[in-house]
Amino acid sequence: MTEFSQALSILSSGMRSQGQRLRHVAENIANADTPGYRRKTISFHEEIARGARTGAVETGPVRLDQRELPQIHDPAHPMADDLGYYAGSNVDLVTEMADAKEAQRSYEANLKMFEQVRRMSSALTDILKR
Amino acid sequence: MTDMPDLLRLAASAARHHAQRQAVLSANVANADTPGYRARDLTAFREVVGDMPMRQTRIGHLGGGAGAARIVDPGTPGDPNGNTVSLEDQVLRGIEAQRAHDRALTVYRSALDMIRASLGNR
Repeated sequence: MTEFSQALSILSSGMRSQGQRLRHVAENIANADTPGYRRKTISFHEEIARGARTGAVETGPVRLDQRELPQIHDPAHPMADDLGYYAGSNVDLVTEMADAKEAQRSYEANLKMFEQVRRMSSALTDILKR
Repeated sequence: MTDMPDLLRLAASAARHHAQRQAVLSANVANADTPGYRARDLTAFREVVGDMPMRQTRIGHLGGGAGAARIVDPGTPGDPNGNTVSLEDQVLRGIEAQRAHDRALTVYRSALDMIRASLGNR
């Protein structure tokens, strides 16, 4: 039975991480037109507890994309400098959409495994019920 | 009749092995997007139990646990970030483990039924 609860907690860590990733994607998309906004990214790594790999996935700290901000020419913009340029955001909508799709696909795979593990453990419990 | 406990023990260790395998596969799926993660799997139950005869000669032989998780050769080259988990492959393996687990439980249950029938308990 411990294998099942272990598997379930690993899978829920996967779903939590993918959900967090999707949240940052949503933030990026919402701020795609915010001047000076840098795209947020998070990294995934395997959790290590007491020197052993647990198999669960953890998210690293939020990092800001250090790519150069595009300079947009619009002299009428309130934030434009003397030359008429202001810094846009470095969010690329196509990248964000691809990232969101990947997160969704991985989330679904986690969910599918979750259901499978639950079915297995209920089959085991059925023996006890007899 | 004396073979029955052996059969039960074998079925139980098979069920435990496939449950462990499912846990390893779960870790793979959870880490499907972790850079540098290599997909893992358990050694086959056949290799864990060894050849015939299936008699427990020493405590801990049968049901002593499954083989250590080993790194499997990925069929595909993997992602540019070094991750070799293929979700389709993992789901397939998960279904395989689930079916094997069900099979082991069915064997366990019918052996239990036979014992009960012989005791006239039904």
